[in-house]
Amino acid sequence: MPSVCFYFQVHQPFRLKPYDFFKIGHDHVYDDEVKNKEILDKVSLNCYLPANQLILQLINRHGGNFRIAYSMSGTAIEQMEKYRPDVLHSFKALADTGCVEFLSETYHHSLSFLYSKREFIRQVEKHRNKIKEHFNQSPQVFRNTELIYNNEIANFVSGLGYKGIVCEGIDHILGDRSPNFLYHPPFNEDIKCLLKNYKLSDDIAFRFSDQGWNEWPLTASKFVDWVHKINGHADTINLFMDYETFGEHQGTETGIFEFLEHLPAEILKHPDFNFRTPSEIIESFDVSAEYDVHSFSSWADSERDLSAWLGNSLQLDSMERIYSLEKVIRESENRYLVEEWAKLLTSDHFYYMSTKYWNDGDVHKYFSHYDTPYDAYINYMNVINDLEHVLETKDQPFPDALCSSVARNS
Amino acid sequence: MLGWEFPPLFSGGLGIATHGLVKELSNSVKISLIVPTTSEAMKVDNVNFIGLNRITLNDIALEREQFDLLLCHTELFEIPIPVSPYHWINKSVIVAEQYARKLSTEEGNEEKEAIHQIFSGNEIYGLNILSKVHLYAKLSEQIASRRNFDVIHAHDWVTSQAGVNIKQRTGKLFILHIHSLETDRSGHSARNAIYQLERTGMEEADKIIAVSQFTKDQIIEHYQIDPQKIDVVHNGIDPAETKRQSHPMKDKLVVFLGRLTNQKGPQFLIDTAEKVAAIYPRVKFVVAGTGDEFANSLETSAFKRLGNKFIFTGFLSKKQVNDLLSMADVYFMPSVSEPFGLTALEAIQYKVPSVISLQSGAAEVINSSLKADFWDTDKYANYIVALLKYQVLSQVLSNRALDELESLTWSHAARKVQDIYQGLLEAKINH
Repeated sequence: MPSVCFYFQVHQPFRLKPYDFFKIGHDHVYDDEVKNKEILDKVSLNCYLPANQLILQLINRHGGNFRIAYSMSGTAIEQMEKYRPDVLHSFKALADTGCVEFLSETYHHSLSFLYSKREFIRQVEKHRNKIKEHFNQSPQVFRNTELIYNNEIANFVSGLGYKGIVCEGIDHILGDRSPNFLYHPPFNEDIKCLLKNYKLSDDIAFRFSDQGWNEWPLTASKFVDWVHKINGHADTINLFMDYETFGEHQGTETGIFEFLEHLPAEILKHPDFNFRTPSEIIESFDVSAEYDVHSFSSWADSERDLSAWLGNSLQLDSMERIYSLEKVIRESENRYLVEEWAKLLTSDHFYYMSTKYWNDGDVHKYFSHYDTPYDAYINYMNVINDLEHVLETKDQPFPDALCSSVARNS
Repeated sequence: MLGWEFPPLFSGGLGIATHGLVKELSNSVKISLIVPTTSEAMKVDNVNFIGLNRITLNDIALEREQFDLLLCHTELFEIPIPVSPYHWINKSVIVAEQYARKLSTEEGNEEKEAIHQIFSGNEIYGLNILSKVHLYAKLSEQIASRRNFDVIHAHDWVTSQAGVNIKQRTGKLFILHIHSLETDRSGHSARNAIYQLERTGMEEADKIIAVSQFTKDQIIEHYQIDPQKIDVVHNGIDPAETKRQSHPMKDKLVVFLGRLTNQKGPQFLIDTAEKVAAIYPRVKFVVAGTGDEFANSLETSAFKRLGNKFIFTGFLSKKQVNDLLSMADVYFMPSVSEPFGLTALEAIQYKVPSVISLQSGAAEVINSSLKADFWDTDKYANYIVALLKYQVLSQVLSNRALDELESLTWSHAARKVQDIYQGLLEAKINH
């Protein structure tokens, strides 16, 4: 009896304000408060509020048979606390239904696993506390930033006690095998891997409104027809995507909400099919085989590797530079500094610096508030320079307002 | 084709562009090129050089017959008018009118004498420019009227009148190629004799080629020309072998190349330098070039006590310019209005990362450059400091920009020009 497993990613980074060289040494506030609030407001109205409302209706309509999962970054939750408590409440209402699972991830949506296991553990722990605080759940399944994955990550996360991990179903690793079963990393059956079915996921997330696509327009019944056809060859069909697909990446006018509204009923029409959350999948099914991933994979770009964040020397330089500050940041024992530093680890900062396809104006540009990847790098490096300046002159007291705002948020 | 500058005698942007285009076009198009001045050193395959200062009008006809027997693809006529387009005085307008009257009322020998008169002696470059433009137009018209061709291709205001004359005389298709505008050089409000020449040329032209979208937009805005009539063909750049050199100074070098006129934004250069030096003192701004803002720039920098941050080199030879670029850490082009900006591309060939104004054609063709509005000296300064400070940024930008240059060739530009010829001719036939 195959299950459909939805997981939606909810993430907002703390975007940096325009920070030119003249501010270094004078201005220690890095967030673009206005822009962050503006974007959260926009996405809340386009996506979070209407989508949460619809999903709540669907859960009620199907008497608990529609079940889904979210992974929410700590930086997104923190901004909701600050600017949109109403949105946070609507997520809590979903959690209260008992049909919604929350996954674990790094609080700052970072690539810390690659650079500092210590920081990785700290962020995972911080995120667990946040999820417990708001949704009263202790996640069993881990989602690493942008589905970055390999054997080492799976084993490490297994060591932290997680029973499951979500990752991308990569064609060349799967070979002729299907992503629609549970796998395990080599020599470790303590953790199960849920592989994203990228074809079906991307039909919704990327192609839904593409009028040049030969399947356009995509209706719920057409999509479910494809899903039902897998019957007999699947345990779990993992549909993983950005939550912002609904109403933001795919605008309301595309009919994405109508699609979502009709999807559960269409899926459940077939008596063999149901919905399960990731931890329910893990309890319900056995692993089928080994999923052996040596080099890092992810769900980004066509390469599905790390090149979206670490593909050029601007990205490597700035990434190495920020992690090189870890020791002295810790030694400062200044909670405010640790937080400011950790916010700079968020993957988006490096994504903005990508020069891949930039000339063609692609998805990187869509997600970036900078004119060019060079602006992103310069702005980021200027901020690091100020942070370094602050660390060097540690006797300099921080404005009270900043300290209290940190205290309020942590 | 009607040209004004031609290397090696005249190697301004117009000369280099005309040369680059002619060289590639001559592979597939038969070109007769009329230019005012030539020298022994001018050499392009399939080009015949004719010095009009030493021959009579009858000789022109004779030369033409001889030339036709040679069956060359390209020929070059010389109308020796020694000028630089940027130096001219109002007096020349009167002189031009006198010549115009003379040329239009008198025939034969009188005309020949007029030519001799203006071509004899070593007249200082740039005097009587408008009279030379009119004379060039008249002579070109006469040469063209005796020849067979399909398309008139004129470059800039200096030859646009010739293009108009030839079109009116022969009824052939007329293309006006715009490399720079009077509104770039003299400010947006310029409505002088040169502006009028440009505007008349544009109105008469069957097609205008602009060297950038920026220039196209300027033409639409300041000359009220139908956008449909304007095609953009970006210039190419010839590949160059370059080598980096070190310099003895401990300071980093930011290089500005070009005429010191308001068009090039020297005031923004100085304001930016002031801001950069305040946070990055180990810097020198090398200003290579001269112009009517030279003294003013010097004085302003001294007034701001930035004397030790500036090196004014005055005019530099091509070799000196190359040496300077090979040592530069940043190339800076704060132009107020830059139709193309060839030097920005030359800097890239020397692996120099650049900060350039958005009001330039170069900004359209090079992604891997840091760009700001010409007046935004805060942004310029931030970019320059970032380049001086962040080595990785400099490397990435210079390497990627060099890659981008590869697609910017004259053969690509020539192909587009040829397509324009073809399109116009087909439209004319079908009409």
